Amino acid sequence: MRRGLLPPALMTLLILALGAYAETSHSTFLGRSNLNSLLLEAMPLALVSLGQASALLVGGFDVSVAALMTMCVVTASFTLTPTMSGAALLPGALAVLGVGLATGLFNALLIRILRLPSIIATLGTFSILEGASLLLRDYPAGPINTDVTNTLTDGVSFVPLAFVGVVVLALAADAWLYRTRSGLALRAVGLDATASRRLGMATARTVIVAFVVCSLMAAVAGFYLAAEVQIGSPIIGNQALESIAAAVLGGASLAGGRGSFFGTLLAAFFLTEIDNVLPLFQQPTEYADMTIGALILLALVLYQAPELVARARDSWRRRERITAAGSEAPAA
Amino acid sequence: MSIPGPVGSAELTLRGVSKAFGAVQALRDVGVDCHAAEIHALVGENGSGKSTLLGIASGFLEPDAGTVEIGGRKLTRAAPAEARRLGLGIAYQDYSHVLDLSVAENLFLAVAAADRPGYGEMNGWAEALLEQFGLVIPVRAAAGSLSLAERQLLEVAKALLTRPRVLLLDEPTTALGPEQVEHFHALVVEQARAGVAVVYVSHRLPEVLAVADRVTVLRDGVGQGTHEAASVSEKDLVALMIGRPLEVAFPERRTRGEGVETLLAVSELRGERFGPVDLALGKGEILGIAGAEGNGQVQFLRALAGVERAAGSVACDGAELDRSSPYGPLRAGVVLLSGDRRGEALFPVLSVRANATVQVLRRLARYGIVGRRRERATIDDLVRRLRVRMGSAEQPVQSLSGGNQQKVSLMRPFLRGDVKVILAEEPTQGVDVGARFDIYGALRAKADEGVAAIIKSSDPLELAGLCDRVVVMSRGRIVEEIPREELGERRIVEAIVGSRGAVVAGEGGRR
Repeated sequence: MRRGLLPPALMTLLILALGAYAETSHSTFLGRSNLNSLLLEAMPLALVSLGQASALLVGGFDVSVAALMTMCVVTASFTLTPTMSGAALLPGALAVLGVGLATGLFNALLIRILRLPSIIATLGTFSILEGASLLLRDYPAGPINTDVTNTLTDGVSFVPLAFVGVVVLALAADAWLYRTRSGLALRAVGLDATASRRLGMATARTVIVAFVVCSLMAAVAGFYLAAEVQIGSPIIGNQALESIAAAVLGGASLAGGRGSFFGTLLAAFFLTEIDNVLPLFQQPTEYADMTIGALILLALVLYQAPELVARARDSWRRRERITAAGSEAPAA
Repeated sequence: MSIPGPVGSAELTLRGVSKAFGAVQALRDVGVDCHAAEIHALVGENGSGKSTLLGIASGFLEPDAGTVEIGGRKLTRAAPAEARRLGLGIAYQDYSHVLDLSVAENLFLAVAAADRPGYGEMNGWAEALLEQFGLVIPVRAAAGSLSLAERQLLEVAKALLTRPRVLLLDEPTTALGPEQVEHFHALVVEQARAGVAVVYVSHRLPEVLAVADRVTVLRDGVGQGTHEAASVSEKDLVALMIGRPLEVAFPERRTRGEGVETLLAVSELRGERFGPVDLALGKGEILGIAGAEGNGQVQFLRALAGVERAAGSVACDGAELDRSSPYGPLRAGVVLLSGDRRGEALFPVLSVRANATVQVLRRLARYGIVGRRRERATIDDLVRRLRVRMGSAEQPVQSLSGGNQQKVSLMRPFLRGDVKVILAEEPTQGVDVGARFDIYGALRAKADEGVAAIIKSSDPLELAGLCDRVVVMSRGRIVEEIPREELGERRIVEAIVGSRGAVVAGEGGRR
């Protein structure tokens, strides 16, 4: 598990370092209102990244999440209108989740039944959802019910309840992943699907569930995006890449089978922090994209470093042992 | 120990099973039944459909026609989980380990829900379990760090974990040394005595006949009948498998005069798991390396090819080999045929043509462009000579049978005119009888051209028949050299057993 601890540790360090740096130059950074808005701003990415981590664990990618989130916002602008209240909101909320569920099943169908590579399959879904969103709202219109958005952003002091919820969720998911048989089975499927099938595991079901979970999390993220934009906007963000970045920075392996939900969550907060800090220094936000890109590459190298170092040390020792063996029998 | 006729009830019944892969009919109307307490051998050349039949019986493959019954109940859908539920356990030839997970985690995933320990007690449970099977394997180590022999034994242990009524074993001894095979057979017999129906697939006839009650032969996907093991000779079986009586098994050895020129001189070579080794190999000589698994044979061979690091000196044709990378020996004409065909020797998804010509593309190119026609013309002749059985040269190598895959990797030294030494690691592992003889013939033909070869094999019969001289390794050193006049299966096995001393079985070389 030592390898597994590096990503969360690194993310925590970076979050604190960047926060401290921002605070020393702009004392408002750690102010209650800024912290509150930072945490809320992070919610959509945090939620969708947790979903993305589940897709990465089974060795797939879901690039359709960004378009799905927008589709959910657009849907909400029809089903959660300002005139509604109370129980009448429930079917509207379910409709949004329904969009997520349907998208997840559609992706899973393409990937498992039609055997398309996940990145291509979800790219197709991305385009379909993008077109559908524009068809429903060709410009931002349709305000979203404020009862709903207020409930979502509710909190105690400066801490949004949703933040507490997402932390608990990530910790519970990690405990499940590394402390239960079904978690082990999921990792096994991600590491080696053929061996898992031979061992009698339901590999198809695992992959389907992972992609449905990913889409459902994107739909929940869509609620928080709706709370942020508060109107049926068809504009699609770059959460697809950022969520993959968060999962990878959080320790997920691109080949599947490895990852940490809590690490992913930390990384999502860190990425949001970058976005949040740059304007404080009057820096263009384009730098954020470049920084994130460079960080992913750095993380991929860094996370492999312990293995590379171990391998180098191993071969060095071996060489020493062989050359020092003299005429004695080799070390058994 | 063979029991005449089935005594128990039919535990596994396959009826009218047919299966085609594309244009290739792998199985045609095959029926097999295996009874409780019976060891039922399934033999046939590679590509004869044995593995396909096991795949169908275990629910991994869906048959085009026919039915599978396990313990009297019909397998309604092709799913390994379903077959397991009905009481079937299988040890796959190429394993079912998740290599990045630990041994304990692999066992934990394989065990039936009822016998599963708590997640936290996994390691202790796995240790106790392996001890019960007499296996010494560290449970916390990643399955990928185990030697091939250990992986094979772990695979069998996993199959037994589900307490199956029907146990399928697909080539379970390919990586095992003679002593491990004996230990393994004791385990199989014990299972059968306890009432398990065992289907045992192997290409090692003497081995499988030693424990089997009945034998079913497959040839080209068609059943050749089921026979009492006690009443059928090895020779008859081979005749059924290949459809013609086998007269000459091994290519003739050319008589060589004394004092043949030394081609490869190994002096004081010392590596992680072997050494010091001194060896001289003459031109045109085929040298065999025998020994119990895990005594440094593989590492020695790989060190010669520059794949593993070793101190000491190796000279080829008078010039010291640069073994700092595999490139040096390769350039000097020392070619390794790795035993790991899919992982190291071949590019599984590339075509036969691409795999064969990959080392000689420069020769086939004009102005940097490889002429497809020139390439084809070059290999066509070799395909005929080595008798590679394939649909087309553009077929991916992974779709060929094991024997034909090996022939494709053998095409490389034939295409390169400058090969001096061939290092072959288990050249006929998982290879059928017919293709074996083609491979022996090819190696001998190369030797007659002056090439020297070192064959590392766990099959004493093969070494006795093919080689000019055999050295036996134990604990990383050469402990005995058997000259040509004395070569024989018994002589080699005796040397291996006699030289084993205190070597603990299962201590095998971790890669």
